[in-house]
Amino acid sequence: METSDIYILCIEDEQEVLDAVVRDLEKLEEQFPVETATSAEEARSVIEKLLENGKKIGLILCDHILPGDNGVELLIELHKNEQLHASKKVLLTGQAGLEDTVKALNEAKLHHYIAKPWNKEDLMSVSVELLTDYVIEQEDDVLPFMGTLDAAKLSEFIRSGRNVSDS
Amino acid sequence: MKSGFLGLTKTQLAGLVLGVFGLFLPFLLPLASLSIAGHIGLGIFFMAAIFWMFEPIPIYATSMLVIFLQVVLLSSQGPVYMDAELPLSEPVALEEGQWQIPSSALKNDNTVLLAVEPGETESISVYVVDRNGQHVIVESTELDADTAIITDTGHRLVNYQPNSYTEYLGTLAHPIIILFLGGFMLASASVKYNLDKNLTRYLLGPFGSKPRYIVLGLMLVTAMLSAFMSNTATAAMMVTVILPIIAQLEPGDRFKFGLALAIPIAANVGGITTPIGTPPNAIVIAALSEYGIDISFTDWIIVAAPLVVVMLVFAWWLLLALFPPSISRFNLKLEGKLNLSPKAVGLYAIFAATVLLWVTENQHGIPSSMVAFLPVAALVTGRILDKSDIRKLPWDVLWLMAGGISLGIGMDKTGLAVWMISGFDWGAMGYITLILTFSIVAIAMSNFLSNTVTATLLMPLVISMQASGIMGDDFNLLIIGVVVAVACSLAMALPISTPPNAIAMSTGIIRTKDMAKVGVIVGVVGVLIILAYAVFYWPMVTN
Repeated sequence: METSDIYILCIEDEQEVLDAVVRDLEKLEEQFPVETATSAEEARSVIEKLLENGKKIGLILCDHILPGDNGVELLIELHKNEQLHASKKVLLTGQAGLEDTVKALNEAKLHHYIAKPWNKEDLMSVSVELLTDYVIEQEDDVLPFMGTLDAAKLSEFIRSGRNVSDS
Repeated sequence: MKSGFLGLTKTQLAGLVLGVFGLFLPFLLPLASLSIAGHIGLGIFFMAAIFWMFEPIPIYATSMLVIFLQVVLLSSQGPVYMDAELPLSEPVALEEGQWQIPSSALKNDNTVLLAVEPGETESISVYVVDRNGQHVIVESTELDADTAIITDTGHRLVNYQPNSYTEYLGTLAHPIIILFLGGFMLASASVKYNLDKNLTRYLLGPFGSKPRYIVLGLMLVTAMLSAFMSNTATAAMMVTVILPIIAQLEPGDRFKFGLALAIPIAANVGGITTPIGTPPNAIVIAALSEYGIDISFTDWIIVAAPLVVVMLVFAWWLLLALFPPSISRFNLKLEGKLNLSPKAVGLYAIFAATVLLWVTENQHGIPSSMVAFLPVAALVTGRILDKSDIRKLPWDVLWLMAGGISLGIGMDKTGLAVWMISGFDWGAMGYITLILTFSIVAIAMSNFLSNTVTATLLMPLVISMQASGIMGDDFNLLIIGVVVAVACSLAMALPISTPPNAIAMSTGIIRTKDMAKVGVIVGVVGVLIILAYAVFYWPMVTN
């Protein structure tokens, strides 16, 4: 499996929780390198560094309660960045109220809400589905992702997108 | 891998440099028996072959570049041949049998070139009596007062009559390209209205739930669809069918290898069945038609389909022998409902009418390329396909084929094709050796190169073997052409061999070594089956 230039970013202030998320996404890490941040401030600098190096961010998993700006504020801010427009955004939290969640949905185009404590399989399947959508929308060649992501959905895209042919 | 320069890998960069060098190479080693145009043609051939192999630019881009270079360098309207005129002079009669000719007309080996027809010369030997500066006095019985002597024997028009640039550009509207356009539009509409999936559902039904028959059913349906659609689109669709089946197997079950390999094998082999099945068929048919051999849609099926059936049955047996089924029945759930909207029904009617007219070409005599314009016109008239669908057609493949056809025309026209094979004593090879050679070379090449490119590079050689007559009466151009087409589609040992292989490999279900093992066996047995058909069956149906 070749490492792609699509990154997964996890933002979470509690180190043990952050470790758990990374561990649950282990199977994806081979192809989608995982970066972590423990505050909004750190997340911004990680993102800046990745984008500077020509990397892409396919998936952002963000906790709501963070030191400094909270998760929803951060996601709304990130969504305004054109290079992160296509990135799939997930709120992974137990404490975001209805108002905050609606705000994230409307203003950051939140793709998914995972309630804590999460189930390992759910986190994995949500991540796989969102990354599958991301590569379908963003990548010219989806073949390298079939082994890790949703192969049926990607095959269907190849068929219906009519973007490959005999040569 | 990326070298940083232009974002190319080292191999691609080497290909770029080599290809550009190849374009000029023929002029660094003047090849006496080859015309100037032949040198240009050879340069274009070298460049195209190297670019197609190393892919510093996409293969369709190489095709477009070929057409561009031919238009500029070889056509009668291009800068090279625009104002060209062959310098001629008539010999001056002196006394009995002696003639005075310009000294520039006499070649080193005491021969003189006479212009016979445009693009054709005759070489005669003369006896040199005397030289006096600008003139020579020669003796020959073949000279005449109004013989046209070429006074510049190295002129670019010697042995070459340039054709119009429209002939090279026109390859994009070559009948075989239009045939493919018709096929592409039908396939595109089928995908849009899910006809391919629904057909699969209906056709797979009768094969029941026993694993071995499900594999057979999958292979037959895949082959049938890929005979009319692109092998690649068919393989992508069938992958969505087999994934739920594979999910019913235990993780370590080897039967899944067989299931996943059945799809690319059947898709690759199925493409052989009809002229529109896969692009190499088009290259072969176009090359043969340039030489006056027109193969109808029906003829092609009669020639190719029996081989396809044998290959499929063999591959089915092979896969079951290597990866025997471990469970006794599968739950084959295929969901979906036939689309009965007016547009979808319109598509079914157009599809059925077109295929019917194609396969009965021998009965009614309407050329298949003409029939192909029925779906082209009807699908857009009925708004079954709209502007965005037209834009999504695989135009790159049409250009790839057009460039291939154009390269062949240029090689034939410049005398390059005949010159290329003249260095080898083909006559010493028997019919069987010749077939083995072409099929093995084609399979070996197309395992690494695009199937279309392989056919493009081999067909001019096949044609010139006929044109030059060196093979004698044993040579059957049609059969050797079919051998090349079939062999190009039987190369499937590597993930890069064909796009269906790449798709199957990408699912992560199979390992490269399984694909290589099965692919090599299919290739070797394929050569033997080709040989058997070429000896026993094809002579019977092509005469």
